Amino acid sequence: MDRKEILTELKKVLAPYTESKEMLAGINEDTDLIKDLKINSANLVDIIIDAEAQYNIEIDFDAAEKMYNVGNCIDVISEKINKPA
Amino acid sequence: MISAGNDIVALNAIDKQRTDQPAFYSKFITPTELALHNSDEITLVNFVWLLWSAKESAYKYLKRNNPELIFAPAKLIVQKLNILNPLKTDENAHNSYRGKIRKGDTVLPFLSIVTKEFIATVIDQVDVRWSVKQIDASDYESQSKAVRIFLLNDLKMPGASVEKHPVGYPILIKDSKELDIAVSFAHHDRYVSYSFQIPK
Repeated sequence: MDRKEILTELKKVLAPYTESKEMLAGINEDTDLIKDLKINSANLVDIIIDAEAQYNIEIDFDAAEKMYNVGNCIDVISEKINKPA
Repeated sequence: MISAGNDIVALNAIDKQRTDQPAFYSKFITPTELALHNSDEITLVNFVWLLWSAKESAYKYLKRNNPELIFAPAKLIVQKLNILNPLKTDENAHNSYRGKIRKGDTVLPFLSIVTKEFIATVIDQVDVRWSVKQIDASDYESQSKAVRIFLLNDLKMPGASVEKHPVGYPILIKDSKELDIAVSFAHHDRYVSYSFQIPK
């Protein structure tokens, strides 16, 4: 799965947690989940749990704290997907 | 250090079933923190969100003086949590808790209130004022507007306005100058809350 495909799936993960649907449609790697998408911080863990289910990966403490913008989310997901079993 | 930090969690807006799962709370609560949970004093769901709100509050408090700080809840460690009114058994009662939270060498005291509707926390430094209010709408724009009006009404400082610092925290402006009053805002669903340090 390349970064573009991960981004497409990530939009589905983020959709339930943002009111800014227009902003979501146009997100790029610099988009901040809280500042730009106005996602309440109380939903950040929900997003991590949903991403784990969406990509069939496990996101630990250290990786989770990097997931504050879209580019970092893609970095973490990409690394976990491509991690050898 | 002049700063302010608070947070609020609307309990109708969280997924209680999900909160109860170790897969959820283990993302930001360490085993040492989990050992602080006393089920006679607080449900696991409320404990989890109380710790979350303490971590958010501490992050906001520290961010003002450390703009590069990233919210890493597992690195803000709640070290102590005591209930203040353990005799209240009425399920409608508000319970209050005091605790301490650590980030590196910095330890901050916090105060939390748990009601049936929300959990609110403030970093409890000297001369802090803190308040919570229910509003009619839950969209971001309404929350943002309501919390500003709420603060300005309570502050009773004619001519003052609220702007956002580039780092993201609110600042108070009067006569085109930033006032030396640290302010923090929080909102979730239909609840808004502010805290500020009263100027000496």
